[in-house]
Amino acid sequence: MAQEARQRIVEATYACIARRGIAKTTVEDVAREAGLSRATVYRTFPGGRDELIDATVAWATFDFFAKLYDRIQGASSLEEMMERGIMFAHRSILEHQVLQRVMQTEPDKLLPALTVESNRIRAGIAEVLAPYVVDRGLAAGVDLGDAADFLARMVLSYISAPGRWDLEDPEQVARLVRSELLAGVVVPARSR
Amino acid sequence: MIEVGAVVPLVAPSPAAAGEQSPHRVRIIDGTLACLARHGTAKTTVDDIARQSGVSRATVYRAFPGGRDEILGAVVDTEMARLFSALGVRLGNAGDLGSALVGGIVEASTRLRDHAALHFLVEHEPGIVLGHLAFDESDRLLATASKFTAPFLARWMSPDEAERVAEWATRIVLSYAIAPSSHLDPCDEADAGRLVATFMLPGIEALQSATSAPIDITPYRASGLPAGPGEGPGAAS
Repeated sequence: MAQEARQRIVEATYACIARRGIAKTTVEDVAREAGLSRATVYRTFPGGRDELIDATVAWATFDFFAKLYDRIQGASSLEEMMERGIMFAHRSILEHQVLQRVMQTEPDKLLPALTVESNRIRAGIAEVLAPYVVDRGLAAGVDLGDAADFLARMVLSYISAPGRWDLEDPEQVARLVRSELLAGVVVPARSR
Repeated sequence: MIEVGAVVPLVAPSPAAAGEQSPHRVRIIDGTLACLARHGTAKTTVDDIARQSGVSRATVYRAFPGGRDEILGAVVDTEMARLFSALGVRLGNAGDLGSALVGGIVEASTRLRDHAALHFLVEHEPGIVLGHLAFDESDRLLATASKFTAPFLARWMSPDEAERVAEWATRIVLSYAIAPSSHLDPCDEADAGRLVATFMLPGIEALQSATSAPIDITPYRASGLPAGPGEGPGAAS
């Protein structure tokens, strides 16, 4: 029950932020949107507005990575999984209207929560990648934990800021994955 | 974009080298850095800056007619210039690609780690710093940093590869600066060396197109490091 209220409140907060941004979203707005009393919102989130925003960023991030996880299922190789994941993640960030608008208008309200969240995201990506790396063949002398952490750091860096790489172009993504991401991590690819 | 020539005058120790700019600029910038390290941007006033720098309020305004905002902008520019200038020395003195990468990563990471003003801001006014590290702003920072460092790496690879590798190294520095790792300290020569040898050198080898001259990375292979993708770096794509 508490879990249900929590979910409802977080989704209501997200709807408020999508409409008005973070700064103008109050606990009252969220309660109205969720059809709950202010007291219920405070019971569920004793930290008030700040806790609501953090929980909503965490929820939106989780939602994003759940979709990403779906997208990489069934990939036939580590390379293909990373290519698919990077292209999907990059496109989703570009097309994420709420994220883009908040980043334009009030980045200082979002970034602290997003930065805290990124530590969990990084650990999550590393955890997903590690078994695929083992399967593909870890390069000699490389520590799996180091390699997975490094890959997760780099994936996060590229999907949020592609720099010189055109992540819409499958050929460039393939080159990126096989050079800066995987070349030192896995054993050389079998010649195809 | 920042070029070597544009950077040097800003960080020259002699006030005369600052050209027509007020001789007090560097002193005021350093005073501001001390204020920022203690109180952050929100609580630092022009009076604080003048007191800390040992000059009058009027002198501060003569040097920076735009006041506080202009000073803060100049602080960012100067600190970037100091970082790039130190990086330039490190990269310029490196005898091979591996030492250039290790030296650059250690230098940049150490300067970020030891930057008291930056630390205060990350801790107390995170929005100000993080704004430069996310999404589009991060792209701009990557472009600035890699444009500056790429020419030093172009001694060992094509200009395009050098820009990619410079950008890659910048990503690595930023990632470990924002989220330190308990396993790998990029300020430590040995750790940075392991990172470069394990991940970067094989990656650079793979980046090279079939037409460009291969980089000689044999010295780094001597210590039993993993063999790279062999003679067909781009073969898989």
